Amino acid sequence: MKDLRRLLALYRPYRAWIALGIALSTATALSNVALLALSGWFIASMALAGLGTQLFNFFTPAAAIRGLAILRSLARYLERLVTHDATLRLLSELRIWFYERLEPLAPAGLRIHRRGDLLSRMRADIDSLDNFYLRILAPSASAALSLMLLTGFLATFSLPIAAVTAAGLLIAGVGLPLLMLGLGRRAGGQAVALRGALRAAVTDGTRGAAELRAFGATPRQTARIDALSDRLIDRQRHLARLKGVSVTLSTLTAPLAMVAALLLAIPMVGRGDLSPPDTAMIALFVLAAFEAIATLPPAFQALGETLAAARRIFEIADTPAPVADPSAPEPTPTRHDIRAKGLCLRYRPQNALALDHLSLHLQQGEVLALKGLTGAGKTSIFNAILRFHDYQSGSLQIGSTEVSALSGAQIRGLCAVVDQHGHLFNTTIRDNLRLARPEADDAALRRALEDAALWEEVRAFPRGLDTFVGEAGARLSGGQARRLIVARALLKDAPILLLDEPTENLDAASEDRVIAALRRLVAGRTVLLISHRPRTLALADRVLTIDKGRVAAPSPKDRGARLARA
Amino acid sequence: MTTTSPQAPDRAIAKALERWLRARARAVRAPLTGAVLAGAAAAVLLIGQAWLLARIIDAVVIHHLGLGQILPLVPPLLGVIVARALVAGLVPLAAFAAAARIRRDLRHALQTHITALGPAWVGTRRSGDLANTLVDGVDELEKYYADYLPQRSLMALIPLAMLAAVVPSDWVSALILCLTAPLIPFFMILIGKGTEALNQRQWRSLARMSAHVFDAIEGLTTLKLFNASRQEAATVARISEAYRSRTMKVLRVAFLSSLVLEFLTTLAIALVAVFIGFRLYYGQMQFLPGFFVLLLAPEFFRPLRDMGNHYHARMAAIGAAERIVDCLETPPPETTGTAPLPKVTRITFDRVGFLHEAGGQGVREVSFTLNRGECLALAGPTGAGKTTLAQLTLGFLVPQSGALRIDGADLATCAPDAWLRHVAWVPQAPTLFHGTIAENIRLGWPDAPPDAVEAAARAAAAHDFIVALPEGYQTRLGDGGEGLSGGERRRIALARALLKPADVLVLDEPTAALDPLTAARVIATIRDRARRQAVLLITHDPAAMRAADRILHLDRGRLVAPPTAGEAA
Repeated sequence: MKDLRRLLALYRPYRAWIALGIALSTATALSNVALLALSGWFIASMALAGLGTQLFNFFTPAAAIRGLAILRSLARYLERLVTHDATLRLLSELRIWFYERLEPLAPAGLRIHRRGDLLSRMRADIDSLDNFYLRILAPSASAALSLMLLTGFLATFSLPIAAVTAAGLLIAGVGLPLLMLGLGRRAGGQAVALRGALRAAVTDGTRGAAELRAFGATPRQTARIDALSDRLIDRQRHLARLKGVSVTLSTLTAPLAMVAALLLAIPMVGRGDLSPPDTAMIALFVLAAFEAIATLPPAFQALGETLAAARRIFEIADTPAPVADPSAPEPTPTRHDIRAKGLCLRYRPQNALALDHLSLHLQQGEVLALKGLTGAGKTSIFNAILRFHDYQSGSLQIGSTEVSALSGAQIRGLCAVVDQHGHLFNTTIRDNLRLARPEADDAALRRALEDAALWEEVRAFPRGLDTFVGEAGARLSGGQARRLIVARALLKDAPILLLDEPTENLDAASEDRVIAALRRLVAGRTVLLISHRPRTLALADRVLTIDKGRVAAPSPKDRGARLARA
Repeated sequence: MTTTSPQAPDRAIAKALERWLRARARAVRAPLTGAVLAGAAAAVLLIGQAWLLARIIDAVVIHHLGLGQILPLVPPLLGVIVARALVAGLVPLAAFAAAARIRRDLRHALQTHITALGPAWVGTRRSGDLANTLVDGVDELEKYYADYLPQRSLMALIPLAMLAAVVPSDWVSALILCLTAPLIPFFMILIGKGTEALNQRQWRSLARMSAHVFDAIEGLTTLKLFNASRQEAATVARISEAYRSRTMKVLRVAFLSSLVLEFLTTLAIALVAVFIGFRLYYGQMQFLPGFFVLLLAPEFFRPLRDMGNHYHARMAAIGAAERIVDCLETPPPETTGTAPLPKVTRITFDRVGFLHEAGGQGVREVSFTLNRGECLALAGPTGAGKTTLAQLTLGFLVPQSGALRIDGADLATCAPDAWLRHVAWVPQAPTLFHGTIAENIRLGWPDAPPDAVEAAARAAAAHDFIVALPEGYQTRLGDGGEGLSGGERRRIALARALLKPADVLVLDEPTAALDPLTAARVIATIRDRARRQAVLLITHDPAAMRAADRILHLDRGRLVAPPTAGEAA
């Protein structure tokens, strides 16, 4: 119910569209009932008139029958257009809403969610929410409206008949669907979850195809996918069985209600409370009234799956952002020295401290290298500076401004990053570079590529800057991809540089070229550099060793390096 | 007209795809027939229901009979009502059974085929696209088999049954129905054809949208670093909006077919009612058959009208089938080799050449021998062909010239999996799978005892960081090992390779992203393994190179003399 209310709240901006769709849908349903009932009444009256037992002016009803036929068709067409358009608008709204919720979570808040699964959620779940308006909200609202109007009309003839019909309609339209909803909720939720798992397994299997093959694990992955597919189909079968039962029960309700209405109407005819043509009309009216609510059972069956999808969407959307921007950020610092004092950072409450009372001071324009064992906390310093993760205690300042008093966007505007996780988008080299500076012209792109020692190779590609890099840069070699990321950082031209293993995976010749480029880049900037590679470390003015989240005592070798540079 | 319209080939393809879809249905003829028979039986029972109802109304309206005289008609009416409801409930069950079997088999066939196409082919695809085809694409077929196909048969059967009941009662109404009915399929085909091409375009745009969003989410951190993640919301909005307007274009036309249908059928019912009315008025007809026909007239059109809804299921299925067939019809690489390989002691590259189509990169005339019990390092600049050589060694690429010999036997004559059984591999960018760390290490030996897993992890210098995790070896890894550093992922991949009982170890940059101390431990392990296994070590880490017995230098695809400058410094 809570999820339902939240969904409705999201739809509020489009309520005019939504109401229009419901009104048209009701008009369609009512004109259909009116057409059939009027036809029944018409031919019964005409028959009696033909037998000479009553007088009858046939022109008005005959014209009304034709008019209703036209009204019904047009209303139906407009209804479908309006409801579908509204649905797609809502989908688009939802997608943006969801992306905007997701955005503050990256990267720290998203680790638990699988990438393939995320796609499933973002697309399939949000798409399956289209059930909500088109197949749930619109049909149920228009059915409720129709039900009141239809039984109201019957009540002018006979209260018992109206009551019997209302009972039948409520059973078929509300009771049965609710029963089916209760029975189908679990299977619906499981189907959504299994679909996500299946997608993740397929994505795994394609990304890791080579390794699965090399390790003889392909048959196992295939078996896993088969098993997930079987389980998904099994849940869907369960839902299909429920559908069978609900078809039987709803096929039963309409004619039974009609029989009941007739049994009530016939004695009224005998007493003279009801004219014979009205009896014919009521029989057809009751039968047709059930068509007005025929969309309800499938709607309610979709509700289980839709609500499960909504719940998962809200679950991600509600993940608290790991870092909250200050409500009133300080002005962006103009000095860029970095000072940490007693800095402590812990990723999750149960984890050990990643930074343990770390203190360091980086002068503006200085190049400070950090080395140390993998997992010593070097990357955590970057995460704290970039406001990817909040620190728990201590102080971290850029200029003299506390990092936590600045917005993430302010800080990331100051920093360029080259790291192991840099992502290349499945688009052209040009578009990947322009991410850093959207207005950059080809000459600027070329300079950046030259500085990153990549221009010669790019120029040799048949399509040059318009070469597509493939998924996650798969069409480039590892070294090319890294240098493209370096070029992108060069293009950004930020005062603070954070380099996390910038020359990893490069051969000696490329490394030399990138180091030369980095040397051009670091000039006049404040730089933190993580590396193990001696030649890259030579860029640094000073080298600190990080151990267990704090700065270790300088080793004689480092001091030697420092003296050698001085 | 001599030139064909641009949509013509699309239509031909659509036709071929529908033939393909129909061919699948042959395997599930029994449940499909069951669905059709149940639907037809329900229709016949409906005729009985209408007849009994018409008799009751006739008795009341024309003959002024009371409740007592009508009661005998009620039990048969109730019987027919119940029987019809039961039969109608069987239709979705039978139809689901048919569609389920087809979907299950297709998904399996797709997965098997993708496997057969191998890593080289998969690498050329967006993984989001493949997941779409296999999960949603296959599910799109559900409605085709469960709704469209049975309904297609019922669309012919039910109106015929209704007509057979109407003709003896009133031939004028039968004529009206007969004249209107053929117009319906005519309009459906006319309008449906235009929609088909649009629908296929729409499926493609849906796939593109999915891939784009996937890419944006994957690169969210990078987008954020460039303060571009907020703008990306605008891109998502733009793409969604484009998708909406494209879809609405399809629907405006598609619903037009429904409008024509609705109008024709509703008008026909209205005409039937009006004509019956006037003939009753002039005494040319009895009330009973007139009312009976009025009850049946909407039922005559119902399957035709329902068809309009299912028609879209057909188009969606054809769109999905295009992707499925495209994948299934890609021929897998030929593997002629069948010879078993009991063991491996020597690998010989005999003037092996392989050039990638794209940039002319690859390897030429490479000859060397790797024996069990030695470690051979392969050095050289990026793009020199080191990774190509690794792919050739694994058999993922087949030499275009020369041959790879295993103990003298040409690798091409060996069964591919027989060779891979002897090889363990750490790729340059290892993949970690959903599951626990232990499961990831066990990839090549699923039943490995825990102490063997731990020993492999220790040898890969991974044990310490694994046990420091709150859940140790049972830590569940996110997508692609999210949450682990590059070095940690690499060491898990190394543990995986070390655990696999193999004669050959291919290591692509095993020390990348490792600090010197950890790298030293890994190098010691490689040294140790080189006593028992044949180790091919691709690296440009000088420290790792020192672990090798021999170093081969590769430059622009050829083996060259080692550079004179102190590379090992």
